[in-house]
Amino acid sequence: MSNLSTIIDNINYIGAFTLFIIGLYTVLTHSNLLKRVIGVNIMETAVFLFFVSIGYIRGANAPIINPEVGDTFFVNPLPSAMILTGIVVAVSITAYGLSLLIRLYKDYGTLELDEIIKKEEIANE
Amino acid sequence: MNSAHLPVYILLILLVSAVTTPLTKANSKFFNIKLFGSLFFVNILALLQLLMVWSSGPLRYSFGNWDSAIGIEFLIDEYTSLLVLAIVIISTLIVIFSTKDILLDISKEKTPSYYTLVLLLMFSMSGMVMTNDLFNLYVFMEILSLTSCAIISIKDHRANTMASFKYLMLGTIGSVSILLGIAMLYMVTGHLNMTLTNETISTVWQFYPRNILISLSFITTGLGLKAAIFPLHIWLPDAYTVAPNSSSAILAAFVTKVYAFTLIKFVYRVIGIEVIKTISINEYLAIFAVISIIMGSMFAIGQKDIKRMLAYSSVSQIGYIFLGISLSSELGLSASLFHIIAHALMKSTLFLTVGAVIYKKGIRKVSDFDGLGYEMPLTLGAFSIAALGMIGIPGINGFMSKWYLSLAAFEVGKPIFIVFILISSFLNAIYFLPIGISAFLKESMYREQVMQKDDLPLSLKAPIVLLALGCIITGIFPDIIMSFIERALPTFLSIGL
Repeated sequence: MSNLSTIIDNINYIGAFTLFIIGLYTVLTHSNLLKRVIGVNIMETAVFLFFVSIGYIRGANAPIINPEVGDTFFVNPLPSAMILTGIVVAVSITAYGLSLLIRLYKDYGTLELDEIIKKEEIANE
Repeated sequence: MNSAHLPVYILLILLVSAVTTPLTKANSKFFNIKLFGSLFFVNILALLQLLMVWSSGPLRYSFGNWDSAIGIEFLIDEYTSLLVLAIVIISTLIVIFSTKDILLDISKEKTPSYYTLVLLLMFSMSGMVMTNDLFNLYVFMEILSLTSCAIISIKDHRANTMASFKYLMLGTIGSVSILLGIAMLYMVTGHLNMTLTNETISTVWQFYPRNILISLSFITTGLGLKAAIFPLHIWLPDAYTVAPNSSSAILAAFVTKVYAFTLIKFVYRVIGIEVIKTISINEYLAIFAVISIIMGSMFAIGQKDIKRMLAYSSVSQIGYIFLGISLSSELGLSASLFHIIAHALMKSTLFLTVGAVIYKKGIRKVSDFDGLGYEMPLTLGAFSIAALGMIGIPGINGFMSKWYLSLAAFEVGKPIFIVFILISSFLNAIYFLPIGISAFLKESMYREQVMQKDDLPLSLKAPIVLLALGCIITGIFPDIIMSFIERALPTFLSIGL
């Protein structure tokens, strides 16, 4: 029973690492380049989930000081603030990667890595 | 002008001139004045900062006067200010070189955006070196990885697009793993400031050994991927080969070095060397460093394209820096800190001379270099100086870094590393010496054996000569760099500063 409750308590962390591995697998093995960009996105999301989970405290309030209620537990706002920056970075990476893909598609007419390599070999001969 | 705001001025000038560069017309008089004026100012400010830090000790700058636990803090010690000065000076020389050379690869209308990228690159590298905050480090790192991809893909050719896409994907995997590692450190300590993180870790690390181990392995893998240590180097040869000449010079001179320096910061400043030794990360680093030193040179031997050869030799040189880190002693650290600057000088000389040859003759095959020394004696002379430095001939700075590294290996009682350093020197000699020898001594069927003057434009000649002189000066007087390193060493090695 205790194993199960450990899993339930740490479900965010387990989910984050599962997502991270799914993303890494997609980036490294998929032959479609667009899906590789999506894989990188999944990896980034996994890290954001992990980062936000660190600041979470069960049953705590949003970090707004209310004099009527007095001192209570607050969720740590710093990780969420940092992840806002992280999201901006992730968006710019995705945008740049997609713009590179548009150029690749114009040059090769495909986004499958095997076909690109084949065309490159034919061009080199 | 002894202001405490110098680091911010440096970054601000770079950022503002990066943003305003595309507003003026390319290669007009005003454009050049603005670009080189701002670069000149940045050089002066970096020099002033160096002098200030030298006279009054390490500088801590907190943004907006926030307490260092809340706000972002810069920590500029003697070595950091020297590295910032080196980044700014060498990048300026490369920018001077690129004014003529870049027109080979991109159209004239696009040059302003190229300079925007180079200025942003300088901005993010200086920021990464100076910052003392983990998340700030991540943000600078992302700016750096995006701009360093962009200066490859600015040349509109499909090989460039493919190389920079590969670099982007692997670089992003690297930075995502580093962010995950930072998150785990934050979990343990609750601080993002490096000094405070170190203070907390040195007291509580026994309670979270697994957390620190996992986070360190993510961080070292990520930084190893970005610094191109051997099994993770696959993006590097393509990227350096197809990039415009001046871009590959900047990439090889500093971008990978900055990541290696960041690893030094993580190992010595954030985690602390005692903890590293206990969980024996440095043993693994040493293995990868040695594999990288040997395999980089092995791959370089067979290459036909000279830029690809230089790229593989970069992989082996990064190995030296990692070896110095992994020795985890005072001498080892100073050897790798020395090698960061020494190798930046040598590699930028090599890439710029090759760039000049490509500019003038349009040849990039190693076998076409026969007898070229008669036509371009100055360029090939500079090339030979830097190549001899790579091999480790006394009198050039490459010898000094190998010397310090061997001393360090001897001191920690691991003389086996000296054997590897020697093997790598021989391998370097195998692929570097023939080029210099055949350029000056071998007869070529296509060229006359008459010594001519280099008729390169001054903007190509001057940076090459200055960088080659830099290699020799720091080789004969290594104390110029070592005195800064000696002063900065306590900030790396003492716990809690």
